[in-house]
Amino acid sequence: MAYTISVDTGGTFTDVIVADTRGLMTIGKALTTRDRIFLGMREAIEAAADQLEISFFELLGQTTLLIYGTTRATNAIVTKTVAKTAFVTTKGFADTLLFKEGGKFNPHDFTQDYPDPYIAKRHTFEIEERMNSEGQVSVPFNTAQARHIAESIRDQGFEAVAISFLWSIANSDHELRFARILDEVAPNVPYTLSHQLIPIVREYRRASATAIDASLKPLMQRHLEGLQHDLREAGFNGELLVSTAAGGCSNVEALIDKPIYTVGSGPAMAPIAGLTFSALESLGNDVIVCDTGGTTFDVGLVRDGNLTYTRDTWLGPQYTGDLLGISAVDMRSIGAGGGSIAWIDEGGLMRVGPQSAGAEPGPACYGRGGTLPTVSDAAVVLGYFDPDYFLGGRMTLDAGAARRAIETVSSRLGSTVEETAYRIIHLAGEFMMRAIGDITINEGVNPRESTIVAGGGAAGLNIMLIAKELGCESVVLPKVASVLSASGMQFANIVAEETASVVSLTNRFDKDKVNATLAELKDRLEAFRRALGERGKDYRIDYYAEARYLGQVWELDTPLASGSFAGQGDIDALVNAFHEVHERVFAVRDEGSPVEIVNWKARLTAKIASREAPNVARMAKTDASPSAIRQCFFGTATPVSTSIYKPDDLGLGAVIKGPAIVEEPTTTLVVYPGMTATISSAGNYLLSLA
Amino acid sequence: MTVTTANSEFDPYLTAIIANRIDGIVREMTNTLLRAARSAVINSARDFSCAICTADNQLLASAEGLPIHIFGSHMLTAAMTDRHAGDLREGDCYLHNDPYSGNSHAADHAFLVPVFIDGEHLFTTVAKAHQADIGNSLPTTYMAQARDQYEEGALIFPAVRIQRDYKMNEDVVAMCRSRIRVPNQWYGDFLAGIGSARIAERRLKELCSKYGKETIRTFITNWMDYSEQRMIQAIKKLPKASVVRSGAHDPLAGLLPDGVPLNVKLSIDPDNSIIELDLRDNVDNVPCGFNESEACVTAAVFSGVFNSIDPTVPRNAGSFRRLGLHLRDGSVAGRPAFPHSCSLATTNVADRLINITQSAFATIGDNFGLAEGGIGMGAGTGVISGKDHRLGNEPYVNQLIVAAAGGPGSPTADGWPNYALPVVAGLMYRDSVEVDELKHPLEFQYIRILPGSAGAGKYRGSFAVEVSYGPKGQPMDALWPCDGTHYPPKGVRGGEDGIKAQHWKISANGEEEELPNVVITVLKKGERVRGNTTSGGGYGNPLERDPRRVLKDVLDGFETIERARDVYGVAFIGSVTTNDLTVDIGATEKLRARAAA
Repeated sequence: MAYTISVDTGGTFTDVIVADTRGLMTIGKALTTRDRIFLGMREAIEAAADQLEISFFELLGQTTLLIYGTTRATNAIVTKTVAKTAFVTTKGFADTLLFKEGGKFNPHDFTQDYPDPYIAKRHTFEIEERMNSEGQVSVPFNTAQARHIAESIRDQGFEAVAISFLWSIANSDHELRFARILDEVAPNVPYTLSHQLIPIVREYRRASATAIDASLKPLMQRHLEGLQHDLREAGFNGELLVSTAAGGCSNVEALIDKPIYTVGSGPAMAPIAGLTFSALESLGNDVIVCDTGGTTFDVGLVRDGNLTYTRDTWLGPQYTGDLLGISAVDMRSIGAGGGSIAWIDEGGLMRVGPQSAGAEPGPACYGRGGTLPTVSDAAVVLGYFDPDYFLGGRMTLDAGAARRAIETVSSRLGSTVEETAYRIIHLAGEFMMRAIGDITINEGVNPRESTIVAGGGAAGLNIMLIAKELGCESVVLPKVASVLSASGMQFANIVAEETASVVSLTNRFDKDKVNATLAELKDRLEAFRRALGERGKDYRIDYYAEARYLGQVWELDTPLASGSFAGQGDIDALVNAFHEVHERVFAVRDEGSPVEIVNWKARLTAKIASREAPNVARMAKTDASPSAIRQCFFGTATPVSTSIYKPDDLGLGAVIKGPAIVEEPTTTLVVYPGMTATISSAGNYLLSLA
Repeated sequence: MTVTTANSEFDPYLTAIIANRIDGIVREMTNTLLRAARSAVINSARDFSCAICTADNQLLASAEGLPIHIFGSHMLTAAMTDRHAGDLREGDCYLHNDPYSGNSHAADHAFLVPVFIDGEHLFTTVAKAHQADIGNSLPTTYMAQARDQYEEGALIFPAVRIQRDYKMNEDVVAMCRSRIRVPNQWYGDFLAGIGSARIAERRLKELCSKYGKETIRTFITNWMDYSEQRMIQAIKKLPKASVVRSGAHDPLAGLLPDGVPLNVKLSIDPDNSIIELDLRDNVDNVPCGFNESEACVTAAVFSGVFNSIDPTVPRNAGSFRRLGLHLRDGSVAGRPAFPHSCSLATTNVADRLINITQSAFATIGDNFGLAEGGIGMGAGTGVISGKDHRLGNEPYVNQLIVAAAGGPGSPTADGWPNYALPVVAGLMYRDSVEVDELKHPLEFQYIRILPGSAGAGKYRGSFAVEVSYGPKGQPMDALWPCDGTHYPPKGVRGGEDGIKAQHWKISANGEEEELPNVVITVLKKGERVRGNTTSGGGYGNPLERDPRRVLKDVLDGFETIERARDVYGVAFIGSVTTNDLTVDIGATEKLRARAAA
């Protein structure tokens, strides 16, 4: 038997899925070991191997492909443990990383300091040089001054260098000249050149991405090479791929070269899982993917079977965090989950979040000293969580503490504890709905015509309530919901992307220049593809224009029919494609306006062959019989007798009518009164509002 | 007509749910306008706002818009219901930009859509956006020297119907196209504004059909009461006080030799939870564009209040019930007398009024109010126009947003660098240098922090920003109506004042000529302007500033060793160049003790 293993190492847990050639998936979970990732990974793989009744070494020896997803880079950024990095830029523009792009949320809030730039001013160096917007030299490159700065960078012990000059995208000569000096003066210090990493207009975005990428180079090289070594030592002879924020995976060399693509790569896999499960259950190509954990709720989209991308991913808060800048899978994250705290504000209004009890002390029911009422406490009070069988019995909950916590709110509202708890669950869903609303509105997607695929440990609690409010008829909770990202990796393809900034107007279109640009993007991707060998055989290249009406500022990804423009017909086709995208997103089109293309993008997708449809069903039976009946509350004063199912109680095709609760080892599904859940032939839960 | 119900028990849960839905609708309006708009002043500078009012003209919800736009939304909708009483119906849309009947200033075009539920007018949605051009007599929307509204020259639309039965009145479009510079850009913004107001109409109808009209009426009552309650609680945390605080707008050559003196009387009555703002003691209207409209003067002083209380108090007619405002007819900071020009009503005097109000709060004790924030729109926010030699001499006009004045120090934090103006408060986006150079034939030499420029304080203001640019081909007109070149933003509670704005024109052979505050100039190829914004005022005594904050500023080159010693009383060991600079605690204590003595 040949296996494919996907590993998603999160901040707390390492999730593993082992898939065999028939598509049967086995889940393993273990705590993440930050010092040496391999140890936690091994434990999680062992947990899966146990279920398969083979040894860890046998399993690893028979594994042909291991896809690794890591939060290593993200954690290093959050904990400020990235390399000591120098930022080198055009003289006169040293504050680019400080100013960012402006913007703030609350105009009346003056209580917080402005955040520090990604690289401090004291680590910023200005070079006497300047290109203009036409790519002509406006201030000549001062070689002597540049050399002096390169020497300072070496002497001050910088571990990485980010080089981002104004208009290097129009003429890269000065960036390349500085790189050559650095090669000579400090040959062992890794660096990133902005025109190579992210050749797009807008100096802050380019500088920010370049700074983040350079700062990750030393540690991600050590990390990925270390892991590769550990895996080989353990007898792994297969291929190692790493998941990326571009919504696919790539080889280790590519990510050592551009480590920024590992930032946010875990969540980027969730939409792939969403698409796979929606298609498997014949529920279409428009998918809203939700991943609910203890503290965050992530949401993303699949439209017409395609992942959606954005250059506006912020590390930290929008406007004041650091912009990733690269074209990454659009996953939005808000602080909401099982740990969100309920409270009454000064005006008497009921609120849930944004404060969270986090993992420590956690919800009151965890019995670790938390006293504030959380969403999880509400679930305990309502009878949705069995205090003696939480997470498959791995944790016992303190029902008394949960009740006492909720009472602090219910006493002020003058309603019962159960009524209050029910409202907490609903109110928590409001903010998740708003996050879904924001992303679907942005993309012009109608939730009513989409399928929700829900994942994460806390998803089953309120996903059906959210679906109901959104008017969304199709909802899938995959059997592997608790390891959604790891399941997405199982279906990820190798994805590589190249961009060029050649600003073009459709009414004075330089066909030859654009064609040459697209051909160059293709050449670069072809070189990468050829290096993949066998893996690169089954592939396609898609081309996109990042376009807008002349005068607009925000671009929309517009697909091109092919990688070259033969005549006016192709240009007209691009204009029409843009009108359609604009109308979908903004409900208006401006037929009279020329279209301006700011960036050209080519994306290679090399299919990883021979994968079976996911199948997690190990069920012999075809009916469902509850193993218990429990009294649960659903908004009425008196409890309702509710069927409780364990996985072994359920067979393929079984229909569970609400009120009912399904207690999976890693998630709890609440089927509200009047709603139903059906076990699909692949073993997933299909949820229905009626 | 009343849209609220009298007997409605407050439901803390349903009120929260519906408030969230309404907030989501305003966010969708905002997103639509931001991303579909054509001019940089909207899509890049975010100089627009969206709000929802009730049919009886109370501001209900406003999300993240600019306070100077929003707080007067109800005056706009009142103009619509008054002028068109008996003839409002579903499918209508109105354009309003008249500062004499509720608008901020003529450059803000507001799109008003009355929303009908089962035939009854229940809401009016408001999408307001600053236009890149409005057909003024000069290519700017800020006509500092306009003697009156006629000289200002904009087309005025006092709640004029532009759509009936969802169909456009093409006559209005034709009028605008004939008068407004770069009409295609204007038309794109026009469509975006209507689209935004219409999106909200659709969503409000969905909301009402989901919850029922009665529940929504109850919500409106509850939400206003709740917001009032939040304001009551906020005012109760303030001490009883009555303060008169003064300031002034800069002089204007030939017209206003002493500038515009301004007074705000602030009375806080925590027992009755009322804040009174009295502006009657102010001079008459002035013969230039500096007069406030009623909407702007209201918004400015209310902003000063909201800046000084719990920032999460909702901003709507409910919380406004606790704010009393006294204005005088014919006053520069009151209700203007026609036909005085209010061309700069959203910025110059309004900025000063926000500063005066928030710094009045600071006088009542530590931990209250704010210092004065940076003011003035100078070269870094100038309006540029000309012909682009790269595009067959096609005309261009736009406002740059590249250099922002520094924010004020607060009781707990330093000022923010992207603050820009009190009326903007950091909400605005900055232009990308590359995008500006791509779109316009100009080149920047630098945009950078001016070291040592912050108003010192326990919490300092943010720094001034220096900028320099000039045209690459054809001559370029540059216009700006800067404030703060004479009277800088003030520090409070022992904090230093910010620095003044200054500008120079530099000839091709390097000669420098200092420019006045209000600039209308032409730059030829080889010439450029350079200048700096104001910086924010400091809050509290600089000698009480945490020495680690001073060290950080010195390490980053934002402060000098000398100013650290002389202004902040902080001494160091080591040096920046040898990478071992640290605070000399003993010497710092001595310096500070001596300075305090």
